[in-house]
Amino acid sequence: MIKLQKIVEPCRRVEGNGNIKIILKRDTIEHVEFEIPEIRGFENILNNKKVQDVPRIVSRICGLCHASQTIVSNKAIEDLYDINPPSQSIILRRILLIGELIKSHAMHYFFQSFPDLLKILNFQEISNPYELMQFDPQLTSSVFDIIKLGSEIDRIFGGRYVHLISCITGGVIYSPSQININLIRKLLLKGSSHAKYLIENFIKLFSNKTPPGSFDLPKINYLGLSNQGSYDRYKGDLVLKNYRNQSNFSAKDYQSFFNKNVGTFGVSFHQDDNMGLITGPIAREKINGISNSEKIAPYFKKINEKWKESILFQNFLELIEINYEIHQCLKLLDENSLNERCELPDLGEIQKSEGIGILEAPRGLLMHYYKINQNESVIQAKLFIATEINIPLINFMTLKYALELNKNEAIDKVKKKIMQMIRAFDPCISCASH
Amino acid sequence: MTSCSGCISTLFSLDIFPQFFEKTEIAYFPYIRDEEKLGSYDIALIEGCITQEFQIRLIQEIRRAARKVYSLGSCAVLGGLISLSKKKKVDPLSNFIEVDGIIPGCPPPSNLFGNCLMNLLENKMIKLSNKNQCYSCPLREGFDYEFKSKITKLIPNSRDINSTQNPKCFLSQGVLCLGPVTREGCDNKCINKGMPCDGCLGSPSKSLFSNIFNFLSLLDLSNDLKTYEGIFYRYSKPSIKR
Repeated sequence: MIKLQKIVEPCRRVEGNGNIKIILKRDTIEHVEFEIPEIRGFENILNNKKVQDVPRIVSRICGLCHASQTIVSNKAIEDLYDINPPSQSIILRRILLIGELIKSHAMHYFFQSFPDLLKILNFQEISNPYELMQFDPQLTSSVFDIIKLGSEIDRIFGGRYVHLISCITGGVIYSPSQININLIRKLLLKGSSHAKYLIENFIKLFSNKTPPGSFDLPKINYLGLSNQGSYDRYKGDLVLKNYRNQSNFSAKDYQSFFNKNVGTFGVSFHQDDNMGLITGPIAREKINGISNSEKIAPYFKKINEKWKESILFQNFLELIEINYEIHQCLKLLDENSLNERCELPDLGEIQKSEGIGILEAPRGLLMHYYKINQNESVIQAKLFIATEINIPLINFMTLKYALELNKNEAIDKVKKKIMQMIRAFDPCISCASH
Repeated sequence: MTSCSGCISTLFSLDIFPQFFEKTEIAYFPYIRDEEKLGSYDIALIEGCITQEFQIRLIQEIRRAARKVYSLGSCAVLGGLISLSKKKKVDPLSNFIEVDGIIPGCPPPSNLFGNCLMNLLENKMIKLSNKNQCYSCPLREGFDYEFKSKITKLIPNSRDINSTQNPKCFLSQGVLCLGPVTREGCDNKCINKGMPCDGCLGSPSKSLFSNIFNFLSLLDLSNDLKTYEGIFYRYSKPSIKR
């Protein structure tokens, strides 16, 4: 009988603790999997918790996507009470989501993906951020400034950098002073020129290169939020789209398309076309096409078409989204009376026993479903997380790549290269290991 | 270790981060570096709680590899929010290794965190306040030393929070605030924004639990809060079985 050998190794330069698991048979790869070794059990933790207490708890699912987790939770609870936050609170929530995305994308691009792009496209091997700093000091300072911009937005509008204080059910409890609004406006304008530099730098370095075919996405379904065809991460209906057809549906009808078992890992989709599925920046672009917007379109024209078929294109889209959302944020800051205290609605009586909240986190679709009892305590929580949705595709592409590499390369090299592919997806393991 | 990465996220947000990054060599940091094996270090900051066997071995190795080891964040210091799980065994680092200091909070407050890093760079000890939140609380004037109000809520009504009226001590409004048994050091961020303290900085004294139990015995809690699982030991699991 042939003995199988299992290699489990932590995946480096990803958010959270994830492993690559490789099964070898006579030194040849049989199977590869991106493994989340631990589920923390937030769906169980939420059982018997009072609904008003839930947003503070779920924020701790992820220190990068904390604003998304808190806001989506509040949206689900507002659905239970059938209340709407005032428009000022919605603007503040949108701003908080922008701060989170700017920071998250910038951190992924610089620390995790950019060194891979340099290596994959034969520029230079960079093994740590200090070498990266030497490679391009301006890029480094631009990224650090953008990280700071995202952080400051969340600190000023949310009360602190991580695990926001201001987001509660019913709205946002804090309004920034005019001085702080002006400060953020200044930082955004500076951030806009940094974002422009990052995009132009990407185009200068990579636009004429062709990403390796192994990183090309197969024919897949794209899942995301769309506000009547427009890019909107806070409000909209769900869209499931592929090269042939498109389904638009309300979050309350989610069970017709996907579901999950509470306390276990993974989201199961009911589509029967055997195609993979992706959510996140690539899906947002495919569904809503921000590349068509006036300011963004010229950048897209400069990119080699081959990029658009690759998962590595996600890196470019991250920079595009940073730029786009900085400009969105500037528009939101121009809204009148942002700095005035606004009365929030009373929660009143619970109106429904089931509530759903939905939005687009930096890495894609995020949905919370809560079922509650008469004491306003949770009796069932289902959390649908972007990275959980993307993992089957990550595994499909990683296995295919590993088998291809294994024809000529030793396992150690294969391991390093498949980590590059995993990083290209920007998995959020903290969220996925909820 | 097991965490939400919020402490890491906070580190990158600090005003001093770019200078800290340039002045030090961050030599082992799986989030941003590829190193597979540990080297030897002057300072180790460890975030996250211990939920798995291999993590015990890893922190023991780090302890051997570093001259000074600090627990970063409530998970590493107290066990953290996963302590709310009934299924997981959650431990702070100090249950397995000796730590030279703690930087508490969920997340660690930016000023506290930044000052601690500066102290570490200057080879100074980390200093934390031994006083509670009430000592610096902006609402302390209304503090009811006799705890007469019945405590019925975990957070205030949304309408009350944004009210322009002068706010009162949460406990006198019937809202549970763990400020009296929580270390100060966060500039009362939650309280200043209109939310009660939920205890993330841990206790000013060594035993959070004895403090909380003593505190609770003084309060007139509503029946549903008396049996509510999830606030009194939110950031640290009691050693007794619930």
